[in-house]
Amino acid sequence: MSGIARASTSDPVIAARGLIKRYGTLTALDGPSFEVASGEIFGILGPNGAGKTTLVEILEGLTPATEGTASVLGIEVTEHPQAVKARIGVQLQAASYHQYLTLREILQLFGSFYPKRADPMELLHRVRLEDRADSRMRTLSGGMKQRFSIVAALVNEPDLVFFDEPTAGLDPDARLDLWQIVREVRDAGATVVLTTHYMEEAEALCDRVAFMNAGQMVALDTPQGLIRSLNAPYRLTLTTAHPLPEADVRGIPGALEVVQERTADGFVVRMRAQTAPSVTTALTTLAGRAGTDIIDLAVEPGTLEDVFLSVTGRRLNG
Amino acid sequence: MTRTMLGASLKMVVRDKQAVFWALAFPILFLGVFRLFSFGSVDTTDIVVGADTRTPAGAALVESLKGVQFLQMRVEPGLTEAAALTELAANRADVALLLTPSSAPGQPAKAEMIDAINDPIGSSVTTAAIRSVIDGTNLALTGVPRAIDLTARTARVERTTFFQFLGPGIIGMGLMTFATISLAGSLSRYREEGVLRRIRATPLPPWRFFSSVLGAHILVSLMQVIVLAVVAQLLGAKVFDGGIGFILVAVYGTVIFLNIGVIIAGRVHGRGAVEGAANAVTMPMMFLSGSFFPTSSLPAAVRPFVELLPLTHMLHAMRAMALEHESFFAQWPALLVMTAWVLGTLLLARWSFSYADA
Repeated sequence: MSGIARASTSDPVIAARGLIKRYGTLTALDGPSFEVASGEIFGILGPNGAGKTTLVEILEGLTPATEGTASVLGIEVTEHPQAVKARIGVQLQAASYHQYLTLREILQLFGSFYPKRADPMELLHRVRLEDRADSRMRTLSGGMKQRFSIVAALVNEPDLVFFDEPTAGLDPDARLDLWQIVREVRDAGATVVLTTHYMEEAEALCDRVAFMNAGQMVALDTPQGLIRSLNAPYRLTLTTAHPLPEADVRGIPGALEVVQERTADGFVVRMRAQTAPSVTTALTTLAGRAGTDIIDLAVEPGTLEDVFLSVTGRRLNG
Repeated sequence: MTRTMLGASLKMVVRDKQAVFWALAFPILFLGVFRLFSFGSVDTTDIVVGADTRTPAGAALVESLKGVQFLQMRVEPGLTEAAALTELAANRADVALLLTPSSAPGQPAKAEMIDAINDPIGSSVTTAAIRSVIDGTNLALTGVPRAIDLTARTARVERTTFFQFLGPGIIGMGLMTFATISLAGSLSRYREEGVLRRIRATPLPPWRFFSSVLGAHILVSLMQVIVLAVVAQLLGAKVFDGGIGFILVAVYGTVIFLNIGVIIAGRVHGRGAVEGAANAVTMPMMFLSGSFFPTSSLPAAVRPFVELLPLTHMLHAMRAMALEHESFFAQWPALLVMTAWVLGTLLLARWSFSYADA
């Protein structure tokens, strides 16, 4: 690998500059620039066709960019894709493994492609599949297959791992299980790049999240940072026995999108709030002044879904 | 790395039941079925004789007929023509011979032969044999000295039986169908199941991946040719006479069919379609190239085309070594044609199968 500049530990693990990928007249990726720091779990979110897979394939050395540069672990990926491949781990969406080999044999085979390799049994132990070492892929459940595909991305003890929709199609229990495994991978020292279209997955797992839409990276921050960037990040619901004076409710500073309606439970005020504490105080004061009992008060923080909607004008799932 | 890859590729081929069927069960089934037929051997002919063995003519005739090896004789004194026809119709006899004693002293006894042999050659051979028996009996009974005495014997020369001809043909067919169908099938499976894409995400160079897959198939073909040769030899085909050269030609030819498998997997998408295409290539070649029948029995118009097919040359060389004890080096014209096929299909395979699109 002579001639390949090695990064120092403080350098970003990924540095992408103006990546563009065109297929004929179609622009699949339209110029994102970003950096990923060492030890991060970096999430890439977006609907199908947003350019997530294209972006990740360029970083993995599977597809060359039409324009722009990307440095992965200090190596220019366009110039040295094989050198990058040797140091990263890849879990691909829908990628399966040889149906006639056992789990142990698949890990041995994939390990043989790399100069540095982990012990197959140790890897299987990490995802609690050691008792299935001599089973073939087709005998595994969906969750087991996903767990295996994650561990198969770790055969070369990579410094950077890409997980492409690792929990797609899994039930909630299996998803929680997989999140824990992804955290353990990071805790063991690897940087993780994860694509997903589950908002709650990004919120629960990622240190930073990038939103992709129509080939562009439209937002990038920590999940909390993104939510805070919303004009009104909180959702407030107040249920009272008697109606509140609507003009007063609308006049509360920081209250937006106020709606009052009558339901079977009582009178419900729904609104979005720029700050939770002051708006909540103002609402309860108003109820006290109106002499009505508060039946229920709920304050929900904003979600990444809200952020996606505000940034792109469309919902992520649906 | 190479050993692990080759080992894994070998396991994948050997554990694939469909591949094993094409590699071994299919050709062994063919060998077994063809062995059951007794091509080229002369069947016996059943003859029912209506003769009274108490008369000198009857006794002498029955005695002489016993000397004809291919006749299986049953004597039924008093057999009438109607009864004889019934015997023939019921397939209990192929020929009936009715001897009517002489009606008066000095008059010859009358012999009448009726046969129900459909094959004209078989019918004439049987008629000639019985006529000769009657002539002999006449001479013996009348005591006329012979002017010519014939001694007939069968020369002990080695002649190729049809099964011996078939042996190399079925081995070649088995190698071809396994190589093309199994490789095209597994490559298209790798592509569809995402295995190729996953391997592409590793630093493994494409050529190493392909050489391990091809290498495993070549190794399996080597085992296949050895197993099939042993089975064929045990069943009576003399393939061992071809020696190592026989195996070398067989495995070299397999490379062509493996390349064809790569081309099919590259050009045709969808596993069902890939298997269909592989069958569409191998089935006609199996018949046209002389796996089961000599190419000389094909219509003249087809033969120039058949002479271009790789299996034709592979089988020609294999048979020349096994059946005519020719040397490996004497097969150079066939090997030259096969080399052209190896190189041509290799280039086409490289062009057809895009590893990067996987």
